[in-house]
Parts: sequence; structure tokens; C-alpha cells
Amino acid sequence: MLYVHNSNCISPQQTFPDTALDLLNESRDNQLLVKEPVYSNIPPGILRRMARAVRMCVGAALPLLKGIPEPDGIVIGTANGGIEDCIKFLNQIIEYKEGLLSPGSFVQSTSNAPAAQISLISKNKNYNNTVTHRGLAFENALMDAVMLLKEKKDGCFLIGSVDEISDYNFNIDLLAGSFRKEIVSNRQLFDHPAIGTIGGEGALMMTVSNAQEGAVARLEDLQTIHTPDETLLLETLKHFLLRNGLTQNAPDLLITGENGDIRLQKFYQAVESLFPEHISIARFKHLSGEYCTASSFGFWMATEILRKGKIPDIALKKGKQTEFRKILLYNNYRGMQHSFVLLGKPVG
Amino acid sequence: MSRIMITGMGIISAIGTSVEENRQSLINERSGISQLEYYPTAYAGRLPCGEIKISSATLNEKLFAQPGPTITRTGLLVLHAADEAVRDSGLSNAQLASTETALIGASTVGGMCLTDEIFHDAHAHSLGTPYTSSYDYASATLVAQKRYGILGEVSTINTACSSSANAISFGARLISHGFARRALVGGADSLAKFTINGFHALNILSDKRCAPFDRDRSGLNLGEGAAFLVLEKEEDAKGKRIYATLSGFGNSNDAFHPSSISPEGEGPYLSMKWALEKAGINPGDINYINAHGTGTENNDETEGRAMQRLFGSPPPFASTKSFTGHTLGASGAIEAVYSILSLMHQELYPSLQFKNPIPETKFKPVKHYRKQSVQHVMSNSFGFGGNCTTLIFSK
Repeated sequence: MLYVHNSNCISPQQTFPDTALDLLNESRDNQLLVKEPVYSNIPPGILRRMARAVRMCVGAALPLLKGIPEPDGIVIGTANGGIEDCIKFLNQIIEYKEGLLSPGSFVQSTSNAPAAQISLISKNKNYNNTVTHRGLAFENALMDAVMLLKEKKDGCFLIGSVDEISDYNFNIDLLAGSFRKEIVSNRQLFDHPAIGTIGGEGALMMTVSNAQEGAVARLEDLQTIHTPDETLLLETLKHFLLRNGLTQNAPDLLITGENGDIRLQKFYQAVESLFPEHISIARFKHLSGEYCTASSFGFWMATEILRKGKIPDIALKKGKQTEFRKILLYNNYRGMQHSFVLLGKPVG
Repeated sequence: MSRIMITGMGIISAIGTSVEENRQSLINERSGISQLEYYPTAYAGRLPCGEIKISSATLNEKLFAQPGPTITRTGLLVLHAADEAVRDSGLSNAQLASTETALIGASTVGGMCLTDEIFHDAHAHSLGTPYTSSYDYASATLVAQKRYGILGEVSTINTACSSSANAISFGARLISHGFARRALVGGADSLAKFTINGFHALNILSDKRCAPFDRDRSGLNLGEGAAFLVLEKEEDAKGKRIYATLSGFGNSNDAFHPSSISPEGEGPYLSMKWALEKAGINPGDINYINAHGTGTENNDETEGRAMQRLFGSPPPFASTKSFTGHTLGASGAIEAVYSILSLMHQELYPSLQFKNPIPETKFKPVKHYRKQSVQHVMSNSFGFGGNCTTLIFSK
């Protein structure tokens, strides 16, 4: 479908500019917050006004433009965009009883701000899109890139995702039942499954094209579905494996979005049960935390594993280090939005 | 590649709760912009809006025939318009629920029409309102996914005021590339304190009915509404009533400023140009433009400038935002419906409140409803962040 070239992942772990996943950064109060880098690429005047989600995304994107100054399009998946500024503006509305307000937070809060800012800073007038489809915002942005590369075969696109934790959306999701009521460390996230998980955030930006040369991974297939029913989910997976010739030869590694939430275990168990015992399984939500576009962290980790030929020990659930040629990523958001992403080595 | 046909339409706006009611209002030049009666804001009585004069409770009863689930007004508008589009297309429930059906929605407000509930939940002032999972942009699309059981690609787009124009082209592209056989595409936004106060803070809301392309225009009026189209492949549409074909689309970023368009209208110029290229037609082939035409100082001048660059002297054009107000994420889909109606009935809808042209371009929009032969209609949607999208519909 497409080849992944360069990428930058700004996450709660040590992933940018250098990667050291085995130094686990620990969660605090059930949150894994990004350790923001110094954004030397963003002009200071613009940086000051940027919402956190915007600067994480732009900060991950700009270094990639050194390689391709004018990508043929920019697509970002983000469920909430600048939610912090959004609620800041709502706070003003309530506090000042709809009086005279400053528009700063309003303009920063629009969810297309990250993609728009990248275009603005790099003076890029090409295709620009923002996908906001909750737990599938990243996958649907990928889908857009897949189509763009069918439409412009020699094109190169800048795609990715971002979501941030603010106190506000953390509270809202906590009330919605997404997070643990008791404090749990990300180190122990999988030890005692219970209702809820821990929150996270992050940005991934990458360049994609149809060129195999110099690529780190190939996206071989992508499938999403909305369903609360694990039987239908398994049918979808079987069909997906069949069309990718993976019924006899299973992928070498399954990466799942398992997040310690007992309510979602049935889906992850069902998916794992479809594969032979010897297959290796890795997971990542104890590194990224849970958020709408967290699957992008799993995607990035898969490309890293393909590139380096090694699973970070901290991510391995079962199995052993072996040669990884094909990796299947399964993610589930709130038991309703599912995605299967198949990645392979760029050659062969 | 197979052509993409429109085989169903649904709409709800300040000028009607169905496609036919909307058309009658356009023909009879009945604007839906008035003082607020339902939406509770400090600006009620001061800033006129394109409000749908039906309470959310009534909409809920109408859609669910009994007290329904807690769905935000944006979600209710989605269901109202999508129900009509689905009925109109004659798709069976099985076809609709299939893995071959895509659903692409769009919204810039989503569940943020609920200011007080969000405030309480965001500050954890309560044990949680029933809406904690309804505030995001995707929530309204997900309500429709659930209602129809759609198993194909489902997505939500937010590129500000061009959102639903991008949802329409995204659905068409899914079909063209074989990722879907048919697609329900559109968008919705309801009035919200968030947008009323946001646009007011930017000083671009008019205290009168908006006057797009007028020299003395004083800003936009916000509106609310939803519209959905059913897109099908030409082969599948055989034997069905076909409204039009989506022949072109273009997407460009103006890359100039977070909340205004460049003086030369570079983004609008490119989105129109690329849509023409995609449709394989020349500027002279366009018979009517449903302009973005918000009625702000910046938009109408730069859009006019872009039309001047591309067309020299543009074909008849109008802004139907003078009827509906600016429905933000819904406007691309609402205006797509009007563009398609124009093709179907061979008629042009006017821009209301226009008196004097902008001196720089001297362009005059269509001032009154009239019959005219129409082969290709262009529809423009430009948004904050420089997101510009143009669609072209053809007979």
C-alpha cells in the first residue's frame, strides 16, 4: 500500500530525538505525559502561541521536511486537536458570562490547527486534511495517504497523528469510565486487569511514498471496523489474514493495544487465540498510555522493530526474539473501534 | 474509472427540514436568518443566526418515535439529514449495514454544543453527565454508524469550514479506489456558545442579516444544519434516479494565516483550479458557483479575487449562506445539496441582501431566483487554518 520512510515519535518515553525504550518512564497519577523536547525548528514567536498538541505535532513534523521540503500533502489524525485550549475558551465563556473574550484559545483549539500550522510554517499549499474519528483517527489518516499515493504514484506525503492529555479531557474520560479509579503504575498495568487503564498522549509524524528504496517498512494492509461483537471481529480478522496469505504462515509478531482494562480483554484474547502458540506477542500501552491515536505509537514501534530486528524487552508479552518480516498490529478503542494494520519489511 | 453518482440527498437547515422545503425557500427567497428563539446564549436577540426552529427534544421524539437516547443536537441533525438521504436513495437496510458501505461525517463543533455539561465534566464538578462520550467531533458520526450498523470505512473529518466538502470527496475516493461500494457522506454542526463567542471574539459576526459580496458587508451569521449525500458507482446507480455526478474536487491550503485568507486568494484559486483539472473541464464550462461567500470583509474580497484570477469574469455566482447562515462543518454538504438541486432543476439560487459590488472586483452575485441551463456547478468551502476545498457537480 505504501512505504514508510522517516518518522519522528514524540511520546512519554525516550523516543525523540534518540530512542531508548528500555529506560521506562513511569506514569504519574495514571497519566503518561510527553517529555517535550526543545523545539529548535519552530520560530519562537510562533511557538509561544502554540497549543501543546500543536507544538508536539509540528515539532515532530518539521525535522522531516529537511528531507522533503514540499510534500504533496499533509494528513493528520487527531481525535481532539487542541482540547486544552478548547476548554480554556469554554472556561472564559462561562467565567465572563459570554462577555468580550480574546480569540487566541479559540483559534488554537480548532482540530485542524496542527496540519494547518505545518502548512503555514513550510508554505505548503498542497493537499491538507485532518481526520478526527476518535479511536481510528490515525488509521483513517493512513487510509487517506494510501489513496493519495494511488492518485499520485510518485508523490511523497507527510502524515501522522497527535493527541494531548489536558486535565479537562482526563476528567471527562475519567468520568466516562476510561481510567483506573486507583493509582496504578504503568510498570504494573498488565498485572491485575481491572476496569479502566491509564491515560497517555503523543505525536507521530512520518514521510510515506511508493518508493521502496530507503524505506523502513511497508504498509501491506489496513482494515478497520466498528463493532462491539467479538465474533464479527474475528470474522473480519480471518478475512484479513486470508486476503494477505497469512492463514498458513502467521505473521512473525502480533502487537496489540492491550491496556489492562478488563472490559477489553475478551477482544484481545479472541484475537490472540487465532494465532499459533509459538507466535510472539508484544504490547505498548504501558509505554504510551491510552489515547485516541495511541495506535500510532504501536505503528511506530512496529517500524522500529522491522528496522532494528529486535523487540524492546519491555514490550514483549510472550515469545522470543526472532527475525521479523511481518508484523500485525491490532488495536481496540473502547471496545467499539478496531483496527488491523499489517506491516512488513520493505524488501520482499 | 467509474463515475461517482449521487443517488440520495437529505438536509435540515434554517430554511427547511427536507430537500424539498429547502428548495422552496431558495426559490421564494425566504431567508432563515433570524433572532435566536431556542439556543440559550447572551447574544440571543443581538446576533441573528440561521437557527432551526425545532427544539432538540422535538427532534429526538421525531427521530426515535419515543424518548430516545441522549444524543447531542449535532447528532440529532446528522440523523435527521442522513435518514432522509438513506430513504431517498432506496438503499436497503442490508445494503446500508454492509461492509461495502462507507460513512464519512464532518463537524467542527461536534458535541461542544453542550457548554455547561462539558464545563461540569471537564472540571469534575459532578459524577459525570450522560454526555461524557459525546463531546468529540466523531460522536455525531458514530451515532449514525450505530443507527444503520455500517460496517465499512467510517470516518470523521474536521478541516474547519471545509470539513464536509472534504468528507464528500473522501467518500468518492474510497469508492473510486475500491475501498467502498457506496458511501453516505456529509456533515453537521449545531449552534454553540463555543462558536458564537469564538467568532464574536474575532469580530466577524454581523448584527444584521449577512450580505455576501456586498461592498458594505458587516460579517457573517452563524447557522446550524446537516446534509448527507448517498454516493454510488455508476454501475450500481443504473436504473435508479441519479441526481448528478461528482465530477471534480480540489483541496489546497492557503498557508497564509490561521484565520484569514491571503489577499490574492491563493488557496481558493488552487482548490478551484485543481477541481477543474480533476473534472477535466475549463473555467468557461462552469455555469454557476455556489460561493463560500460568508459575508466577512476578508472572505468575499479574497474569494472574488481568486475567481477573477481563474475566470477573468466569473459565471453567475451566489452565496446561499445569506439563507442558512454559515453552518461551518455542515456548509460544504448543505451547499452541495443546493448545487445539485440547481443542476437537477436547471435554476440558479440568489444571494440575498446584496446591494453594491466590492469596488476592487465589481462582481455582482445572482440577485434573484431564475431558470437557466446548467451543466456544471462549482461549490466552494474555505476554512480556518487555510483549508480550501472546491467540489464540482455535473449533470
